[in-house]
Amino acid sequence: MNEHIRGSIFQLIDGTISDQDFERLQEAIEADSSVREEYLRAVGLNESLQELAIDSAELSGNEKAKPAADAPSSVQSSRKSFLLAVALVLVVVIVVGDIGFWIYRANSTDQPETLITDREDETTQTQIAGHATLRRAVDVEWPDEQRHHLEGDVLPNGLLKFDVGLAEIDFFCGATLIVEGPATLDIESDWSVRVLNGRLRATVPPAARGFIVKAADSEIIDLGTEFALNVSPEHARLEVIDGEVEIRGGHHDGKHLLTGHSELLKGEEAPTNIFQNLTTASELQQHREKANQEVFARWQNHSQELRNDERLIAYYPITDSQQQRAVENAADSGSGRDGLVVGPVAKTNGRFGQESTGLQFDRHGARVRTRIDGEFQAFSFACWVRIDSLEHRYSALFMGDGYENGEPHWQIRDDGRLMFSVMVDDSKEINYFSKLEQKMVIDAGLHRVYLTEPIWDLTKSGKWFHLAAVYDPKSRRVAQYVDGQLVSEQEIEDKYHISTLRIGPAEIGNWGQPFRKTPVFSVRNLNGTIDELAIFNAALTTEEIHHMYEMGKPLGY
Amino acid sequence: MPQDQPNSPQDRTADREARYAEFVGLLARHDLSIRRFIRSLMPGSEGVDDVLQETAMECWKKFSDFSPESPEDAANEFVRWACVIARYKAMSWQRDRSRDRLVFREGVVEALAQSALEHLDQREEERQAIQHCLSKLEESQRRLVLSVHSPGESIARIASETGEHARRLYSKLNVLRGLLLDCVSQQLSEDLGHE
Repeated sequence: MNEHIRGSIFQLIDGTISDQDFERLQEAIEADSSVREEYLRAVGLNESLQELAIDSAELSGNEKAKPAADAPSSVQSSRKSFLLAVALVLVVVIVVGDIGFWIYRANSTDQPETLITDREDETTQTQIAGHATLRRAVDVEWPDEQRHHLEGDVLPNGLLKFDVGLAEIDFFCGATLIVEGPATLDIESDWSVRVLNGRLRATVPPAARGFIVKAADSEIIDLGTEFALNVSPEHARLEVIDGEVEIRGGHHDGKHLLTGHSELLKGEEAPTNIFQNLTTASELQQHREKANQEVFARWQNHSQELRNDERLIAYYPITDSQQQRAVENAADSGSGRDGLVVGPVAKTNGRFGQESTGLQFDRHGARVRTRIDGEFQAFSFACWVRIDSLEHRYSALFMGDGYENGEPHWQIRDDGRLMFSVMVDDSKEINYFSKLEQKMVIDAGLHRVYLTEPIWDLTKSGKWFHLAAVYDPKSRRVAQYVDGQLVSEQEIEDKYHISTLRIGPAEIGNWGQPFRKTPVFSVRNLNGTIDELAIFNAALTTEEIHHMYEMGKPLGY
Repeated sequence: MPQDQPNSPQDRTADREARYAEFVGLLARHDLSIRRFIRSLMPGSEGVDDVLQETAMECWKKFSDFSPESPEDAANEFVRWACVIARYKAMSWQRDRSRDRLVFREGVVEALAQSALEHLDQREEERQAIQHCLSKLEESQRRLVLSVHSPGESIARIASETGEHARRLYSKLNVLRGLLLDCVSQQLSEDLGHE
């Protein structure tokens, strides 16, 4: 069984799966009976372990385990509705449950974990610092001193503060908080958070049991499912929505609260209805959809206007497209410059979610081919792209086929730098020592690659970016932009100057005609998604690029 | 109206009570199988109890339609009959919550239901296989595997006792779960081989 699929199955069972992996898993379950079998077996394992764990805790007289009557965990409440069945289950456990081995095995811990092969090599493993991710954010306004987080961001240790809006935060342990602004949280670890201010709903699946929320001078330990918390400088109140929590520290040290119970952790009695209208996950989703429709509509208006821009060489508003194989050129230059989907390009969500479309190039053969004849005086490229990883030395955004004179190459290097270049003289052979290949190599011809500082690393995986490159022979200037901000500005030296630009046959998301045959260079498909690309025969100004970003940015930016 | 009509109110009540006793008997014997079937069609345990309850109510409402072909096999037929109702209930529960994050779409529920129906009677073998496979683990491994389910126990607690990182424990947990799954499917295929 594919390890990724298996990992996704466990994450689904623990409630920690990402939306993207959940979608992939659903597809695999539908398409592949072996995945189906594996999923069912994993659910069976999980349920059986749960039954075993609870039964053995009860039978071994574990003090921490409550009698079924006052521990309304999801398993037990189901049994309460079928009391007869409870009796039967207990009989079965007493007959077949081999309690002896628990005691017998307890002494044999001197050879721990022999079954675990050391799959995690901590030194070579890529690590990201943080304890939680921002799953969804709606209308969140961040104060100036706070880093402005986007959906999908990994949240590091420390203070997280926002003034208004709704944020859904997934801790790595699996617990989820829906927080209403104004709020201030101190993220302490995968398993613990301090709430200094704000109203929230905490949901804790079984795998995250033990998750600690600190408020006032108490620790709230969630023993499963859901509770609400409201903290202000003057008071703090806790209410259990479903399940059980334990309070440690403060006036109520050691107290257990069950479904519907509420406790004041600090201050005088506050107004009674402080938890009224506390946002649920589905309400958050509704708010989010509404806000998303607004930004989608804003971009659609902008996109309609842009189509009339006479400077456009080609414009591919993929995100709004219903086409199957054709990638429509919406500029006046017409269908002769349409792109064509070639190979395993997957249609996926664009940057406005399910209603929008993106083209995913994660398979090696995936590409969109186009042909743009003519001569141009300048280039401006602008696209929206989501990069999942930079697994090849170079990942292609837009590439002229043969890299002949005047043709552009726009790509990203595996260290996260943007690269823009135009072939100046393809008849020259340039020899240089390649560090990567540890030998002298012959380069294709005279050209200069204009690099930015690294703009991407693994923490930005899955996030949408607006990238732009402006190549202007007339003013001898190359400018590159990320999210509407200028990140690099370089001069075109005499040696590299060329005034007639061309494109010809070209590819989006891959490079069809590599001329050097070593494997590190020949695979350049973008492991990511593009949902809009515009190419202009003009040098756009910083203001124009910024405007495109502002009109086209997705929710939360 | 004839005086000797067979369905007097008393008879009807007695009949209904007998029918109800039969129903409760069947349900009590099989509610865990039905619950497991429902759980298989839902991405998490949330809502499983609701769907089980709705299914039980619906089964009782329709119980007069339930007529086993052979009385010897009534129990088996009851489970399959109830699971058809459960599938419908699980599907509509998720459809009502399609805006929520983790719900299966209809095609997935349908595919899972078909596979799950084929394994309805394997629950006990599976449970025994799991116990056998669990017994092959070291005590500390078993503790980790059961920690996420045991009241009063948790990964966080093991982490604080052993000083290991919770995240590392979590990935160990998943390795162990994978080993158990492999072991269980091997056990089950061996069992079948003996038949």
